[in-house]
Amino acid sequence: MAEVKTAEFKQASGRAIRNPGIQHALDHVMSHFTEARAAVIEADYGDESWESMRTRAAALKSHTIERLDYYLDLVDKNVRRNGGHVYFADDAAHANRIVLEIAERAGVKRVIKSKSMVSEEMGINPALEGAGIEPVETDLGEYIIQLAGETPFHIIAPAMHKTRQEVSDLFQDWLKTAPTDDIKRLCVIARDALREKFEAADMGISGANFVVAETGTVVLVTNEGNGRMTTSVPRVHVAISGMEKILPAMEDLPLFLRLLPRSATGQRITSYNTFVGGPRAASDEDGPEEFHLILVDNGRLNLLKDEVLREALNCIRCGACLNHCPVYRKIGGHAYGWVYSGPIGAVVTPPMTNTKIARDLPFASTLCGACRDVCPVKIDLPRLLLHLRQRVAEGDGVDGPANGWSERAFARRWYNAVKTRKALESSTRLARMLQRPIVRRGVIRKLPLPLVAGWTKDRDFPALAPKPFRQRWREGLGGD
Amino acid sequence: MPTPDEHENKEAFLKRVREALGRSEPILHTPDHASLKTTPPRQEEKVRTIQAKVEARRPQLIARLAEIAGAASWNVHRVNTVEGAAATVAEIAGRANAKSIVRSAEEVFSRVDVDGALRRRGLSWTVLASGGRRRRSDLKRLAFASDLGITGVTFAIAETGSCVITPRRGVARLTSLAPATLVLIVEAEQVLESLDDFFAITRLGYQRDRGRSPSYFNFISGPSRTADIEQTLTIGVHGPGEVHMVLVGQ
Repeated sequence: MAEVKTAEFKQASGRAIRNPGIQHALDHVMSHFTEARAAVIEADYGDESWESMRTRAAALKSHTIERLDYYLDLVDKNVRRNGGHVYFADDAAHANRIVLEIAERAGVKRVIKSKSMVSEEMGINPALEGAGIEPVETDLGEYIIQLAGETPFHIIAPAMHKTRQEVSDLFQDWLKTAPTDDIKRLCVIARDALREKFEAADMGISGANFVVAETGTVVLVTNEGNGRMTTSVPRVHVAISGMEKILPAMEDLPLFLRLLPRSATGQRITSYNTFVGGPRAASDEDGPEEFHLILVDNGRLNLLKDEVLREALNCIRCGACLNHCPVYRKIGGHAYGWVYSGPIGAVVTPPMTNTKIARDLPFASTLCGACRDVCPVKIDLPRLLLHLRQRVAEGDGVDGPANGWSERAFARRWYNAVKTRKALESSTRLARMLQRPIVRRGVIRKLPLPLVAGWTKDRDFPALAPKPFRQRWREGLGGD
Repeated sequence: MPTPDEHENKEAFLKRVREALGRSEPILHTPDHASLKTTPPRQEEKVRTIQAKVEARRPQLIARLAEIAGAASWNVHRVNTVEGAAATVAEIAGRANAKSIVRSAEEVFSRVDVDGALRRRGLSWTVLASGGRRRRSDLKRLAFASDLGITGVTFAIAETGSCVITPRRGVARLTSLAPATLVLIVEAEQVLESLDDFFAITRLGYQRDRGRSPSYFNFISGPSRTADIEQTLTIGVHGPGEVHMVLVGQ
C-alpha cells in the first residue's frame, strides 16, 4: 500500500515552498496547462456549450454513482460475457493479492504498466517486486519517477517537477546513456529502453479512464502509445479501476471524451483512445489471451456513505483543479502526503485514508472556488472542503474530533463572545481596552499571549477601530 | 479459468455499496437513462439518420476532417482516385526511407493497389498477418523490426481528426503501433461527423450481434506525443511519431 504521510503536511509544504526547483516548475510549467485549457474550451465542439456539457456530465455521473451497485453488476456481467474476468477488491492489499494470483497462475515474470492512479494507491510495484516480478512503468513521466524512486507530483504530469538535467542524470545512472539537455533525445532514450521491455513483457497492467457498463468496455485515454502497447503486446492484460469510474452506456462516451482531454491537457482529443472489451478474439492476429478487470474500493465506500462527500466520486481525474489551485501552485503535489493532491486530493484523502492524520488537508485551501469553476463535472469542491472541516472539527464517527482541547475551548468562548449583539458589544469594548498598549499605527504586530502568538508570526493583525461603526453611524458618520 | 477468489466477494461488495447508498434492495429494472434504454429499432432509425446526414454533407465533412487532422499534426494527403492513393502511399514510403515496411490485410488494399505502387518503386513489404507459413508468434518480432506501417481504417471522425482502427483477422494491432511511421488510408464513405455518430453506430453493432462486435478498437488522433519533461511537447514516444492520412475521394 502507498505510504500515507499526510500528518507531515505542514512541514512538507514548508519544504516545497523553500525548494527553488519545485517553485520554478510550479511557476513556469503550470501555465502551459491553464492556457491550453482556456484556449480549447473556447473552441468549437458541436452545438453544445461548455457549460451545458459540464451540467450534463455532473448529472450523468451522479445518476451512475447513486446506482453504483446496479452498474457494477452490469459491468461484471458484460465483461464476463466478453470472455474477461472480473474481481471486486476491498482494499489495496486485496487488489495486490489478486494481481499476484493472476501473475502466478499465468507464470508472469515481467510486467509493463501504463498509468494508473489506483495502482499508486495499491503500491503495486513493491508488491510485484516482492514476488520476484519486474514491474516497469511505461508512461514517460511515471518511468522517470520510478527511476527516481518518487511518487507522482501531479495526477497527469507525474514528473513535472523534474528538469531535463535531472532526467538526463537519471538516465545516465540507470541506462548508462550519455548526458544530454535535448528533450527530444531524452524521449528517444526512453523509447528505446522501453521497447525492449514491451517486447519481453508477459503481463500489461493498465488503469481505466472509463468503464462502460452496457458493453463491458474499458476506455484508456493516452498520448504516448504506451497504453496501446500495454493492451496489445503481453499475453495477459489486467485493468485496474476505481469502482466509481463507470459510465452507463456507449453513447455517454462522447461527452466525457470531450470534457476530459480539454480539461486535462487542453487537447481536443488525445492521440490515442483505446477501447478494450475483453481478451482477443480467437481469429485476431495479436492481443492478450487473458483479460482481467479489478474493481477497487480502497476507501471509496467512505466517500459514498457521506451524502455530501459522495459528489467527489464524480471526479474523472483530469487535474484541472490542481492546475488552478493557488495552494497547489505553491506547494506542489508531494506535500499532500498520499496519492492525490490539489483540491480533489484534499477532499478524498482524509476519508480514504484517515481523517485524523489527514486533518490539515481540508484546510489547505483558500476557498477561492477556482477548482469548482474549472471542474468538468462541476464538483463543488469548496463545499466539500467545508464539510470535511466540520467533520474534522467535530469528529465523524470514524475518527474522533481531530482538534485539541484548547482549540475547542477557544471556539466555544468565541461563540459565547459573539452570539448576541449585546455579547458582541461588550466583548469588543473589552478587546478595545486590552489592545491599547500593543497597537502601533492601527495594527498589532505581535500578539503577546502564548496560545495566539503564532498568528502574528508572519502577518499583522488589524486592530479594532477606536470607535465602532455602530457608534459612528449614530453620530452621523462624522470623523472619529 | 476463473481464479480462486473471482466473484467470491461480489455479493458482499455490492451489498456494502448498496447500504452506503441507503438502499436495502438491489435495483431490478434498467434505470431511466436514455442512452441505455434506446431499443434496437430506435437505434436503427438513429443510425439511418446519421448515414443520411453524412452522405449529404460528405464534402464538408472531408474538408473538416482534413482541417482538424492537420491541426493535430497529421500529414493529410487528399487524393481523388484509388490510383492516386496507391501512388501517394508508395511515395511516402519512398521518402521515409523505410527499410522494413509492413501492411495489414485490410479490405482497402483490394481497391487501392498499394502493392503494385510499392513494387514499381522497387520497395518490398510484409503483410503482417498469420497464415501460410507465418505463425502468430512471428508477428511481434516482425512488427517491432519494421519502421513503416500501412493500413486502412473502419471510420474517420471529422470532429476530432481521428481514425478508428479495428484489429481483427488480417489486421494486427501492432501494424499501426510499432513502426515509427504510420500511413492510414481513409475512404470518403468512412468519414463521420462526430463522436456521437461513431458511438451510435458502434452501439447498434453491439445490439445486433454482440458476439461479432469487435472487443478492441482504437482511435488514432495524431502522432504519439508527450509533454512529460518540462511540459515541452515532444512527438514520437512509444507510438508512431510521423502519421500520414491519405484521404481518398470527395
